[in-house]
Amino acid sequence: MARSSVQSTIVFEVLRRLTTAAGITIILSVVAVIVSAVVAGPFTLVNAIVTGGMWALLAVGLSLVFGVMNIPNFAHGEFFMVGTLVSYLVFTPLHKYLRQNPSSVLSTVAPFAGIFAALLVGALLGVVVEKLIFFQLRRRSREQWVMNSFLLTVGLSVVMINGHQLLWGTNFKGIPRYWDVKPIDLFGVNISMDRAVALGLAVVTIAIFWFFLMRTRTGRAIRAVAQDETGAQMVGIDLNRIQVLTMALSSALAAMAGASLLFMFPSYPTVGLKPLYVAWYVVILVGLGNVAGATIGGFLVALLQTLTSYFIGVGWEDVVPTALIILILLFKPSGLFGSEVKGVWEQ
Amino acid sequence: MLLEVKGLNAGYGFLQVLWDVSLYVAQGEFVALVGPNGAGKTTTLRTIAGLIPPRQGEIFFKGELISKLAAHKISQMGISFVSESLNLFTAMSVHENLLLGAYVVRDRQKQLETLDFVYHLFPRLKERRNQLAGTLSGGERKMLAIGRGMMSNPDLLLVDEPSLGLAPNLTLDVFNALETLRQQGVTILLVEQNVNTTLHITDRAYVLEQGRIALEGKSKELLENKHVKEAFLGM
Amino acid sequence: MQKTETVSARAGRLGNGLLSILNALGITPLGLALIILLAILPFIPPFDREDLLRWLVGAALIAAQAIAFDFTTGYINVVNFGFAAFLGFGAYTSALLAVDFGISPWIGMFVGALASGGLGFFTGVLTLRLRGIFAAVMAWFVGLALLGLARNLVDITRGPMGLSVPTFLETASNRPYFYIILVMLLITYLVLRWITSSHIGLAFKAIGQNIEAARASGVNPTFYRVFNFTVQCAFAGWLGGFYAHYYGILTPQLMHTSHTVEVLAIAYVGGRGSIWGGAFIAFPFIFFIEWLRSSLTSLPGLHLVIYGLLLILVMIFYPGGVAQFYYWIADRVGKARRGSAEQSG
Repeated sequence: MARSSVQSTIVFEVLRRLTTAAGITIILSVVAVIVSAVVAGPFTLVNAIVTGGMWALLAVGLSLVFGVMNIPNFAHGEFFMVGTLVSYLVFTPLHKYLRQNPSSVLSTVAPFAGIFAALLVGALLGVVVEKLIFFQLRRRSREQWVMNSFLLTVGLSVVMINGHQLLWGTNFKGIPRYWDVKPIDLFGVNISMDRAVALGLAVVTIAIFWFFLMRTRTGRAIRAVAQDETGAQMVGIDLNRIQVLTMALSSALAAMAGASLLFMFPSYPTVGLKPLYVAWYVVILVGLGNVAGATIGGFLVALLQTLTSYFIGVGWEDVVPTALIILILLFKPSGLFGSEVKGVWEQ
Repeated sequence: MLLEVKGLNAGYGFLQVLWDVSLYVAQGEFVALVGPNGAGKTTTLRTIAGLIPPRQGEIFFKGELISKLAAHKISQMGISFVSESLNLFTAMSVHENLLLGAYVVRDRQKQLETLDFVYHLFPRLKERRNQLAGTLSGGERKMLAIGRGMMSNPDLLLVDEPSLGLAPNLTLDVFNALETLRQQGVTILLVEQNVNTTLHITDRAYVLEQGRIALEGKSKELLENKHVKEAFLGM
Repeated sequence: MQKTETVSARAGRLGNGLLSILNALGITPLGLALIILLAILPFIPPFDREDLLRWLVGAALIAAQAIAFDFTTGYINVVNFGFAAFLGFGAYTSALLAVDFGISPWIGMFVGALASGGLGFFTGVLTLRLRGIFAAVMAWFVGLALLGLARNLVDITRGPMGLSVPTFLETASNRPYFYIILVMLLITYLVLRWITSSHIGLAFKAIGQNIEAARASGVNPTFYRVFNFTVQCAFAGWLGGFYAHYYGILTPQLMHTSHTVEVLAIAYVGGRGSIWGGAFIAFPFIFFIEWLRSSLTSLPGLHLVIYGLLLILVMIFYPGGVAQFYYWIADRVGKARRGSAEQSG
């Protein structure tokens, strides 16, 4: 008797959640996945999932920085750009060396060297940006913080894009692939090693990151700062330390996404713009500061883009999601999953 | 002397709230800071906790100057502040809030001991340990805030208006909890508007009026004071 | 009695009358001097060279945009991050009217202004429920959607290949164009300055500082925000019309976010909430940038690095921009003058 009532409450709860905006979206996208797999072929789907993983990485970083530091980061895509660049600069000479001195072990490891270097440089750059820019403004004035810090990131974005152009020029610095191995065969679909690794990296990173945020002392402190800055100070959390760490993590994730996708996005000054738009679509869609939602949102937007370019045409994959998001915001101004967003303040 | 405040001036922006406030709290004492609305009681606590930089004056804790330290350093030195707005982490569970209260305690064993103590003090919190802090009732939130403040094993607990917005029976619960803490040897500086009860349970008290210390003395003596009777006790 | 008045006194009175008219228009004597200087500049070497005239036109166009940008940013405190797209929308409207229907650019640019204003109205309504940064991002998304449309509707806009547009005049000289844009700049300034110095400007500022407090004191944020957006976008569209019929070629690139950033940087360096700051700084700034670009062709992108750095530095260290600096100087001068007057008196 008691058991069945528990079960019925669970069923009721599931039903209630499925009829919220978020639930409906997820149902619709599952339907879209099935339809697209049937109509457009599984390859499209694989593409959507691989890029989706990376969009999720980007969106999580963007969301984190907004949640913890209240900075709407317009320069987030530029950390993606830095990732592509660093990985290119590290991987290409290694690759050249390997062609003369073949070594199977080294050629398996070399791509990871590139990606790892990107991660490190991304984190370091995040620290520098926080110390040199955000910290300076925070120390002087916290008035209109959200808008002013946003404008700072706009300036930062311009500097980084054109700094790249100044130092490395506008030509495409890309690679055809990281791994020269046969594609993996999965349910009759060929997935290149690069794509498989990119997806694997995204999934593993998000899992680690999730564990870090939810289960560790420092992760908990980060969430505490996002929810109540004063409360965090009161329990002895050093805000500056958390802010530096958050910025470093967020930029490292973005740089890693860039490095992992180097085979799809060759490095050039404005390569970060598209990932930036996408990360913003995701974050606005699920609500600013919502890290968990950002993960799902990454895949949603990737799917939306893939379907758009398949069914409507290449070149429309930014227009349609934009229009859709504008519509969604009209009815749900705090985003699809935005009802419980914390740590977001304005004015 | 555990806490010593000398000639404190503080405020927000152009507005100065505190004028030359001096007070002290000895080890093991239960001291109250009472006064009318807007007298600067909360400002005093916030300044001691390091959330507002003082304009003038010095604050010593365990003989060390703390008035120039950041809030988290002051918390690490052993001062816990239970603010009026509580500043709970509303999207986290009760349990996580308490764990964060012990953020500065590295010793896992000690953390668990204190956690047990807090759950013992507030059994309600134990019942609701997995519930989000934002979904608690007003009284439970107060308990959680006090419990979180206890988690770092502070040498001094600053408590701001624990009875605010609570039903009388819940207020009593909260005051009883403070009594228990004090019997455990915790030093408490309490800010309250409920002057009558406060003066009955505390050792000493300061009366703050318009940002200045107007009166100070043993709580029992203040209860008999003519000015206190007229202004706060309605006699 | 009046007939015995000396000539100089009469001239003085005339001067005072003129001053008070100028004052009502929001032009200081220094401002008037600068406007006159701008008006005669195309005849003073080396500014009579065609390449420098082109810079002057570009600077005046940016100056007018900076005024329109500040009208929203500096007052209701919402950054219209899709600004360039609204400019482009006006530009395309006017251009397509001229190309497809042979409508005169002089009429087309006003139709473009109406079209952009309408779209601004729509965006204003759309962003109403959103605060600060959310509104900025929403305006940005609208801009991105417009940019995407301009890129993809190749049948209409010819997309990235570019649309060639009939120009205002049949002349190859840039000088007449400079006077057109100078007049447009002045009109933009006078109208927006007139609005912001009236009670509407006060309402704008109240909303910009604290929307709840403004609402509580009886200011209707809905009306003023939408009104502000509409006016700004209408001016953007109008200026877009000039862009189309001056350069004679339109690509979707005009609507790109980087263009918004350019205007934004100038408006902020000029000083937000001043209306004139961005316009004032645009001329030396654009000349410096263009000079840098033309003399350091081996370092592409350097000028934009400077844009970005300047924006960051101003935001952190001197948020009031050039306008604040001017007011500070004026204040010092005023004090010194008063001091010396007291001494001599």
